[in-house]
Amino acid sequence: MIGGRKRADIWTLITLLGFAIVLVFLVYPLFDVFKYSFADKETGVPSFSNWVQFFSRTYYLRAFSHSIIVALLTTFFSAVLGIPLAFFTSRYRIRGSNMLNTLAVLALLSPPFIGAYSWITMLGRNGFLRNFFTSLGINLPPIYGLLGIVLADTLQYYPFISLMLAGALMTIDRSLEEASENLGARSLKTFFSVTIPLVMPSLTGGALIVFMMSLSNFGTPMIIGGNYLVLPTLAYNLYTSEISESPGMASTVSIILMMCASVVIVLQQWVSSRRKYASMLVNRPVVKKLKGIKSLAAHFICYLIVALSTLPLAIIVLYSFKNTSGPVFTKGFSLQSYKQIFFDVPKTVTNSFLYSLIAVLLIASIGTVLGFIIARKRNLAVRILDPLLMIPYMVPGTVLGIGFIVAFNRKPLYLAGTAIIIIMTYFIRRLPYSVRSAASILKQIDPALEEAGINLGSPPGRTFRTITLPLMQSGIISGAIMSWVTSMNELSASIFLYVGKTMTMPIKIYLSVADGYFGTASAMSTILLVVTGVAMFVVTKYFNRGSETFIAA
Amino acid sequence: MGILMTSIKISNLEKRFGDLLALSDINMHIGEGEFFTLLGPSGCGKTTLLRTIAGFYRQDKGDIWLGDELINDVPAYKRNTGMVFQNYAVFPHMTVYENVAYGLKVRKLPAKEIDTRVKKALQNVHLAGYEDRTPDKLSGGQQQRVGLARAMAIEPRVLLFDEPLSNLDAKLRVEMRDEIRAVQKSLGITAVYVTHDQEEALVISDRIAVVNFGRIQQIGVPWEIYKNPSNRFVATFVGKINTFDIVLKESAGNGLRHAEFRSGDQVVPFIVPAAGTEGREEAVLAFRPEDVVETSQAESQNRLSGILEATSFLGTVASLELNVNGLNVVVERHRPKQGDIPAVGSRVEFAVPADACLLFDKKTGDRLREGGSR
Repeated sequence: MIGGRKRADIWTLITLLGFAIVLVFLVYPLFDVFKYSFADKETGVPSFSNWVQFFSRTYYLRAFSHSIIVALLTTFFSAVLGIPLAFFTSRYRIRGSNMLNTLAVLALLSPPFIGAYSWITMLGRNGFLRNFFTSLGINLPPIYGLLGIVLADTLQYYPFISLMLAGALMTIDRSLEEASENLGARSLKTFFSVTIPLVMPSLTGGALIVFMMSLSNFGTPMIIGGNYLVLPTLAYNLYTSEISESPGMASTVSIILMMCASVVIVLQQWVSSRRKYASMLVNRPVVKKLKGIKSLAAHFICYLIVALSTLPLAIIVLYSFKNTSGPVFTKGFSLQSYKQIFFDVPKTVTNSFLYSLIAVLLIASIGTVLGFIIARKRNLAVRILDPLLMIPYMVPGTVLGIGFIVAFNRKPLYLAGTAIIIIMTYFIRRLPYSVRSAASILKQIDPALEEAGINLGSPPGRTFRTITLPLMQSGIISGAIMSWVTSMNELSASIFLYVGKTMTMPIKIYLSVADGYFGTASAMSTILLVVTGVAMFVVTKYFNRGSETFIAA
Repeated sequence: MGILMTSIKISNLEKRFGDLLALSDINMHIGEGEFFTLLGPSGCGKTTLLRTIAGFYRQDKGDIWLGDELINDVPAYKRNTGMVFQNYAVFPHMTVYENVAYGLKVRKLPAKEIDTRVKKALQNVHLAGYEDRTPDKLSGGQQQRVGLARAMAIEPRVLLFDEPLSNLDAKLRVEMRDEIRAVQKSLGITAVYVTHDQEEALVISDRIAVVNFGRIQQIGVPWEIYKNPSNRFVATFVGKINTFDIVLKESAGNGLRHAEFRSGDQVVPFIVPAAGTEGREEAVLAFRPEDVVETSQAESQNRLSGILEATSFLGTVASLELNVNGLNVVVERHRPKQGDIPAVGSRVEFAVPADACLLFDKKTGDRLREGGSR
């Protein structure tokens, strides 16, 4: 619309850039994965042998069913924790409910394996809680395997359900519930026939995100899964054992994982595209004050849930200050573990900060201009580009990691072992979020403002810079901070791509845990936690963003 | 201010959006310093035309001239047209001062001149002293004044108004309307004003173009548009009017013609103007509610009667809704006194003077008058 002239302008160049990114960093590596999955392991000729193997061996099929079981159980228990928490904090006065939300979000955004590893220190073979219970004569079931994965995943992901549901419960128009009571329905009847149906889309939306996250989670099952293989860990094991040959079987597993993820994403898009009933915030529901035993019970439930999910984080922080001797914790507290990090592997810390910072600059700048053309320049090319840019939503990190390592381990784009390949992983994984959020910010900016700029004599480029960009600023920055946090904590793709000199903190934590060096792992995890916490604080304090920012991340 | 008086000439303009013909056959000449209004219902194409003049759309056919300059291929940001937007479009991240200064900074004027012009523009819209306010601290009316000051400050060749008052409340709307008119006249700047409010159009304009279905229906001074509409659409869109079908009969002499209004088994004789009715046997008769004459005299012409169904009292005028043999007819009584308004259900008699009768073609809606339509 702006400019009105038909010529190759800056927006055409940006559209081309979008297509180039999609082709080089998505289509090309994913096509390679696809190709390898249909190649015979020995000869390399096209064949279905990998697929036949996958569907004929219980070893592979078991991992598939494990993945589904983990995702289902995690979703179920997340609902069990998330629904009461959402209901109590949104409808009743719970003291410190803001703090509870913050702690829940911190657990949600923490590095994806901290929980798992913390539960090992508590309930692992020599865990202090296990030892405590054993001394009481109680033998707890082993934590490694299904139990551990579901425990750690649930306590990390339930905030998706509690936050989305609480958001819906808080924005239902109060008069709808009042109308129901006015028409003669008791409050319980009103709750089940009006309130629940109205928040159902948010509840199912949250549940599907939990399902998706636990399905594609790599770190948790890797650390606490033991012999209980799920699709991402199976793909990783296959890849590391196939390293000398072509990664055929790993590719097949990746494609199957991606197909599962796609089904969930499509379902989730469908649920969220159906009518959302959240109304203008004129008639917010009343927050009731409970009394006596009821109030006590509600507080107890909320605090218990959040305490359970905060406990693993607190343990990590505590352990980071414990003295160690090699892999063994000894008596007393000190900064020994931190010293070790800064003397032994300072590069790991700087790598993490540097890579994620560069990635965020790319994500924010390119995501913003791509978001702009998607919101404001809907020509044919842009309409094709839009869904393509959303592909990374459906690609679990493990799959992207395998795709990158096979595609960029040869000419013409030989990137294996470089920092670029890790930065590009961060970039691609976060790009769709950034594009989406830029586009949705733009939808709230009246196009007339840009037209006013143009009308006053400012060319399109200058108008974008002086009018549009400043108005998007706070949204872009808070989105960028969230991208930074998730990039800092990225493990599932970069684990395939790192070499000694490009190691990052999450990878180092994973390796330390695998080697039993819990001290170093705790100290590094604490650093990541502090970074996450500070980022959250900045976003809520300076950009006035609510919890929806975090669940969109 | 050194405002250049500029005329606008539009010839054979056409604009399509895909299959939709948004504008066609647009021809107009807007004089220097004229206040010209595009009036029509929503979706008629009036805003599209304004945006095409501003350069936000490129026409598919036809030319637009600003003064002597053909501006077809001049991009929007080089057209130097000051636009005032419906939803104000005041930059929310800038102060009032920065908003007004924006276009001047783009033009790289010296800081001193910018300052003078901003202050002058704010004075013109009675916002002096509001320089440092941010838009969120302003009312809708004040925001629109900022929009107006911002558009004037760049000393544009023409001012373009896109329904600037439609988001304001009724009282403020009247106030701002008069102010816009006063400022425009005092600067002598050419203005194109888009509205769907016919009353606003009649009050504010030097001339009006009534637009419907992407075509210009009539261009004229307000009096002409109201009193002498060129088709049935203009007659019904601007002001209230009653219409019903009549059958034309023999000539009545003196430029008049006999006609009959038939309803059920009733036949009411009518006398109507003969101009433009040659060779026709039927037409649509229209008359305005305020043109009827109260009567009970049996001999008066064009006499109708109906049952009063509803009344509304508007202060200076009382409006009576009648059922005339199944047809709805509205008539008005001016400066009604106590007891002037009959009870609902009673019979009301009135007459329509022949010179108040407008006739339209039944199919095309074109006005029947001397020398044919338009």
